[in-house]
Amino acid sequence: MEKILLRNIDVSDSHTLTAYKSRGGYGSWRKIVESMTPEQLINEVKASGLRGRGGAGFPTGMKWSFVPKDSPKPKYLVCNADESEPGTFKDRLLIEKDPHATVEGTLIAAYAIQSHTAFIYIRGELAFGAGRLEQAVDEAIQAGYIGKNIFGSGYDLDVIVHRGAGAYICGEETALLSSLEGGRGWPKVKPPFPATHGLFGCPTVVNNVETLAALPWIIEHGAVAYAAMGTEKSKGTKLFSVSGHIAQPGVYEVEMGYPFKKFLNEDCGGVANGRKLKGVIPGGGSMPVLLPEEIEKVNLDYESVQAAGSLLGSGGVIVMDDSTCMVGAAWNLARFFAHESCGQCSPCREGCHWMEKIFRRIEYGAGEKSDLDLILNVSGNIMGNTICPFGDAAAMPAAAFIKKYRDEFEAHIAEKRCTVAG
Amino acid sequence: MSVEFSPETLKKFEETVNRYPKKEAAMLPVLYLAQQEFGHLGEEAIAYVAKILEQPPARVHGVVSFYSMLNMKPVGRHHVQVCRTLPCALRGAEKITGFLKQKLGIELGQTTSDKRFTLTEVECLASCGTAPMMQINDDYYENLTEAKVTEILESLK
Amino acid sequence: MDPVNIIIDGREVVTTKGKTVIQAAAGVGIVIPYYCYHPKLTIAGNCRMCLIEIEKMPKLQIACNTQATEAMSVLTQSPKVLAARKAVMEFLLINHPVDCPICDQAGECWLQDYYMTHDLQASRFDARKEHDRKREIFGPNVVFDGERCIKCTRCVRFLQEITHTNELAVVNRADHSTIALFPNSVLDNPLSANVVDICPVGALTDRDFRFKVRVWYLQKTPSICPGCSTGCNISVETYQNRIARFKPRINETVNSHWLCDEGRYCFHDLTGGPRLTTPMIRQEGGLVPTTWEHALQAVYAGVKSAGSLAGILSGRNTNEEAYLFAKLAKRISANCVLEVFYRERELTEVQKILMSPDRSPNFRGAREMGVSSNGGFESLMEKLVAGNFSGVYVVGEDLIATNGDREKVRAALQKLSFLVVQDTRLTETAKLAHVVLPATHFGEKEGTYTNRRGRVQKLNAAVIPPDGALQDCDIFLRLLDAAGETHSYASVAEIFAVLAREIPSYKGLDYASIGDQGIELGSGSVE
Repeated sequence: MEKILLRNIDVSDSHTLTAYKSRGGYGSWRKIVESMTPEQLINEVKASGLRGRGGAGFPTGMKWSFVPKDSPKPKYLVCNADESEPGTFKDRLLIEKDPHATVEGTLIAAYAIQSHTAFIYIRGELAFGAGRLEQAVDEAIQAGYIGKNIFGSGYDLDVIVHRGAGAYICGEETALLSSLEGGRGWPKVKPPFPATHGLFGCPTVVNNVETLAALPWIIEHGAVAYAAMGTEKSKGTKLFSVSGHIAQPGVYEVEMGYPFKKFLNEDCGGVANGRKLKGVIPGGGSMPVLLPEEIEKVNLDYESVQAAGSLLGSGGVIVMDDSTCMVGAAWNLARFFAHESCGQCSPCREGCHWMEKIFRRIEYGAGEKSDLDLILNVSGNIMGNTICPFGDAAAMPAAAFIKKYRDEFEAHIAEKRCTVAG
Repeated sequence: MSVEFSPETLKKFEETVNRYPKKEAAMLPVLYLAQQEFGHLGEEAIAYVAKILEQPPARVHGVVSFYSMLNMKPVGRHHVQVCRTLPCALRGAEKITGFLKQKLGIELGQTTSDKRFTLTEVECLASCGTAPMMQINDDYYENLTEAKVTEILESLK
Repeated sequence: MDPVNIIIDGREVVTTKGKTVIQAAAGVGIVIPYYCYHPKLTIAGNCRMCLIEIEKMPKLQIACNTQATEAMSVLTQSPKVLAARKAVMEFLLINHPVDCPICDQAGECWLQDYYMTHDLQASRFDARKEHDRKREIFGPNVVFDGERCIKCTRCVRFLQEITHTNELAVVNRADHSTIALFPNSVLDNPLSANVVDICPVGALTDRDFRFKVRVWYLQKTPSICPGCSTGCNISVETYQNRIARFKPRINETVNSHWLCDEGRYCFHDLTGGPRLTTPMIRQEGGLVPTTWEHALQAVYAGVKSAGSLAGILSGRNTNEEAYLFAKLAKRISANCVLEVFYRERELTEVQKILMSPDRSPNFRGAREMGVSSNGGFESLMEKLVAGNFSGVYVVGEDLIATNGDREKVRAALQKLSFLVVQDTRLTETAKLAHVVLPATHFGEKEGTYTNRRGRVQKLNAAVIPPDGALQDCDIFLRLLDAAGETHSYASVAEIFAVLAREIPSYKGLDYASIGDQGIELGSGSVE
């Protein structure tokens, strides 16, 4: 399979403009600015079938087309580099090893919506990556790819690398915008939607790093070539971050629709230390865990993973072998969400902590049998009832762990200790 | 007010603010500048940032207290932050934390008496493929083992 | 205003474009519970209490942020909705201390009310509750209890969007989120206590009112704030014949939902202190109690023979009182100079949101009733100090205490050959009077005030005056009797009916139709 997203990362000094240009970098950008209208660009990306890689999988070209063309307000493009989903580290790899692809993708998306100011919002902890992006932006400014009157077209664009400061929720696009407005990372009630009322009330599009990094290739090779890869509804390639009890953890690029089991066993070398698979989270810590038998026929695309009862999400694959205490794993994630809830909505603010407390007492041998149904009920009461998808993100894994490993939870409660890891 | 930016930082502040569509949008970069300059973001630093960004101090206080990387209390010279989230936990993060506690002689949230190290646990740092890991100030340390941790601590004066 | 037809619980509801479901429902009396929503503040959407089901939408939606669209079908009582409300109630209460027995909000707490209507189950939360600050003083009028707070952010939004003073913010995150002042700052803006009114729970309570009386013992009388001529609509809330607090009443043409702090607490100054309960007359250099009959005879004889006469009426007197006072003055002396007490001060921007520069709520009405000789109050005072009058009749104002140059005023008053003071307390001015008449304050009387902008609004008696005092109207009527007035007035309503015939701008106004929201001058039906 031809690599699209990871095509440059093994090149020496891959992060530099010299290396990027030697591989045809910024050719797409020049082509667009010199010969394409925003409409043509949007149509091309629509035709490619590219869907947002941040987790929701919304068609990228369609997202751009929601931005009103006649708005007198400034428009903003924001690259979402706030990668914080447990088990996900693909964007970090792209940013650190091939920052120019992200920058070029950002320029392309900005042009599509005719934005003159673009932001790359990178999570604060990734200081090294932020430095790489800043360097890439500086190089692109020097080369005339960013700035006033780009390629003599009259089109102006500035790109600002903006560091977050430690808050998972800022990966949610409206929370990210609140943060970029200088506020707490609070998701906003919708409607209105960012496409019309985003940053400072202006039309705004937020696209994930991986989404943007695919754009230069799509323009260079054409929508047809991209759409030829993948499945009917999930086009192209996708990055998967594989972690946990896996022989070869890392970031992998596979064509959409690639068999999950084959991916784990062959591409990633199987479960580490020859142990047995106990469960795998396919799309980052906020997605339901799948049992080994549930992934038998699953392919790595949006539809197939959903049919199996989970979601492709960010492609953060967390592998757990048969030594894993699922009570501990569930508590660990519950603690994550309790810590990261922004605190706005009553169900999420109160419910995440409540669930965490119950999981904790089960973990420490003080749980009761009724606690399991209580968690299922509480997670159900959070689910779907909050401003942003964080509530669902906290509720889904909690419920899935209990439903799928109920015997283990019951044994842990009855014995007042872990019956798996000892 | 005793808390004020140095002329160099003030210059950086002005350059930063000028790039943003609104002054308040530069909140996080300016808070970083302040944290760098003042060590932590106490009341005076918050009030100062509020003043130069023309924002209500209460709002800045709300912002600072929201983000885990903004410290309202002083931290040691090396802020050791061990990731505790599932992918790291599956690969022994807890052991690393235990080792760090023993090695530094402090509990989570504490600072060594020589003010060299502060130890905290943090959530996922997007380094799951190289777990277990920790971040010390701006730097990531990955694929940790006890031997590696010992080496790293010794290299930090 | 394009009409929009929607269906709520099977009922056809006509609303207008741009209205939300919560507004459309409220318009026809369908109650959708909420905490964070407030009609005057931006939508926060955080409490999740107003979740409703909308046909064809898989998830429940918040009614406060859902625009009504044509043919939308809304369910506010479906099993899914009821379950969600119950769930939200349970979430809000898990860290709540449930300290109702010592909470001042008890009885008007939305958590209590909604618990009864939407929850009514024992909490399943049996872990340790999170703690927060108790009894943190936010400012002179407001105290905070973090454990009772539901983080609806109404207070924060009020201070951002209405006063623009931004004293409060939400700090920390997740379930450590709490409301906080910036260290060493104070919540003391001129509208600060409104945050108590809009706090749906017991998190923000009124330092002046708390621990005084359980709210269910309060009697509530709709009335008008006597603080200034804005004429904010209030509810005067009393217990055992004492005013316990003012609360704002909604009137979109006057004060919207708000009341300023100065107005809110002005009743202490206006009603406190020992009351006059018997008329007094000056004898051998001192004031001695007398009967009403003697006192009024003395007043009438005194003013009649005083020569150059001035009458000063308080701006807190009603239109009906002013009308009678003007009538009385005319009967006694054609040259009598009349003015309403009126004095202005500078206001800050925040004060200007609600407050008028005066402390005379009915100066406009009283002038329109004839208590005005076109010279203005300050000019009258100058003449008084200059010794131009020999007799003065002062109603409801302490001229000495309210004047910068107290001694000058005192000296001028001492020189008068006749001074009548009609007031509720033995003020510095009253101590110099030849006759003192015990009267009533704003809270004890019925009548009308006309605010600065010309809205006629109704004052209602909230407490009963002490034995021995007479209503100002009654005093004027008795004096009018003595002066030979033949018309008798059976009630305040009748006085209003007469003045609405006589005073041009009040023509056609009907006392009964003033109601609780007032009426504009000039809106009367002209025969």
